[in-house]
Amino acid sequence: MSNAAITSSPGVRALARKELRELRRHRMIVATAIVLPIAFLVLPVLNLLLYEPSRAIGGPDFAVGQAMFCFFLTPVIMPATMAAYGIIGERDQGTLEPLLTLPLSDRELLAGKVAAILLPTLGASFGIYALYMAVVALAVEPPVRSPALDWTWPFGLLLAAPLLALFSTLTGMFFSARSKDVRIAEHLSGLVLLPSMLPVLLIVTRTVEPSVLTWCVFAAAVAAIDAGLWRLVVRAFDRERAISTA
Amino acid sequence: MRCAGPAIECRAVTRRFGARTALHALDLDVEAGEIVGLLGPNGSGKTTTLRILATLLRPDSGTARILSWDVAAEPMQVRRLIGVMPERPSLYDRHPVEDNVRFWAEVHQVRDPGAAVARALEFAGVADRARDPAGSLSKGLKQRVALARAIVHRPPVLLLDEPSSGLDPSAAASMEGLIRDLAREGTTILLNTHRLAEAERLCDRVAILREGHLLQVGTPQQVRAALLGHIVEVEFAGLVDLPVRRAVESFPAVREVWWSPSAVRCRLSDAGRDTPELVARLVRAGAAIVAVRPAGDLERAYLELMSQPVPGSLAA
Repeated sequence: MSNAAITSSPGVRALARKELRELRRHRMIVATAIVLPIAFLVLPVLNLLLYEPSRAIGGPDFAVGQAMFCFFLTPVIMPATMAAYGIIGERDQGTLEPLLTLPLSDRELLAGKVAAILLPTLGASFGIYALYMAVVALAVEPPVRSPALDWTWPFGLLLAAPLLALFSTLTGMFFSARSKDVRIAEHLSGLVLLPSMLPVLLIVTRTVEPSVLTWCVFAAAVAAIDAGLWRLVVRAFDRERAISTA
Repeated sequence: MRCAGPAIECRAVTRRFGARTALHALDLDVEAGEIVGLLGPNGSGKTTTLRILATLLRPDSGTARILSWDVAAEPMQVRRLIGVMPERPSLYDRHPVEDNVRFWAEVHQVRDPGAAVARALEFAGVADRARDPAGSLSKGLKQRVALARAIVHRPPVLLLDEPSSGLDPSAAASMEGLIRDLAREGTTILLNTHRLAEAERLCDRVAILREGHLLQVGTPQQVRAALLGHIVEVEFAGLVDLPVRRAVESFPAVREVWWSPSAVRCRLSDAGRDTPELVARLVRAGAAIVAVRPAGDLERAYLELMSQPVPGSLAA
């Protein structure tokens, strides 16, 4: 079954719906999904609203770059907690064993879980960025407004955020499938995810110019990593191991 | 669906966990519509057997089939045909009862999930709790929801791991009734249980496992007869008199006899065949018979079996 066929399978859609209901009812995940995007919206907006050229370190481009880093960080950090719960959460509440008796292949099972994590992550990531753009357009002073509204930023975010979110989700799922404890999975994910933000840091600080070409090359590289990571996660998911580490 | 043989078929199924062999070349068939109970102490291989049939574990050697589909080679087909109820209800406690069951119906692509969920909840007797969070239910009700979930797609084969574990007597009796109803509708049921009286009442056949070896398989009567001999007990209204003693002792099918003031226990050549003749002889001798019953129950037979060494073990 191709990856496209997997995501359209009724079983995957049913699992994704179940996962979304589950995430919605999980206090810690809901708290993370609310607090993190709010923080990543408020900090950049305040940074730009209170921008004063005389006191600022670096120019307006640097201030906008700092703000943009938060928006690229959201799709990476937000899925990590949810993904860590993906397999371990099911095991801890005793639902993994019956779940594995359902007619879902390994790929369908993982695809359903990944889809349920990507939807709220991308909703929150794009939502806070849209609010940020609105505030910038209405309230930020012209010296900062112009670089903040540079169209290469939304282009880069639209292109890279889904791929970064997928990277973070798959990393979390990998460790969730192989770890015994949610916190261990979260910590290990963090160890992989934070260094991987270095290329984004280079772009937002304009060490590498944020052009269309830059974003396309970056997106292609992340997409290639995601494809490899997906294969790795599918291979790492071992049903016997998953139920026997309970 | 394809099925040329038994609904459940295990051929020399062996499973090891490290150095420990949990299942030694298990051979077991379950015919369509049969209820078969797996009995045995903890660690005897009951749950391993169910997990292999549920496609959760792969056998190291041998083959296990559900309706002719190999559980190791064709797990997706097998998963479509089975309903599994684990020992713990394993529900999504934060979700309403109906959402728990609906998820199962949707993944199994049941044509009308709403109707199927309503039917399954009705059958399990939990329709009035459909909107309650599963976590708010008692253990007995959770078990019923787990059963509703396992049958929502009307599977031809049900695998139940200790379905009445932890239930009070009335909840256990109610679960027993539900299982019997499912078998009456033609569902093949393989269940694990520690409740021997329940197994004796419910199961068409029982299979007794110990340390991964299948020690006995047969109807509860056959197992009792094999382990306790063909012993029947006859209870009289008054004291035993001489004609009654002579009637028993002159019957060639009686191998051994034990008398008490108002009862007799006889080991017969074949309890099934010889009991009617024994009773007829007693009636002719003027005995006022109160009861005739097989001596010992499945529990006694089970304990007898557990006291014997395991074949193939060092003690054997």
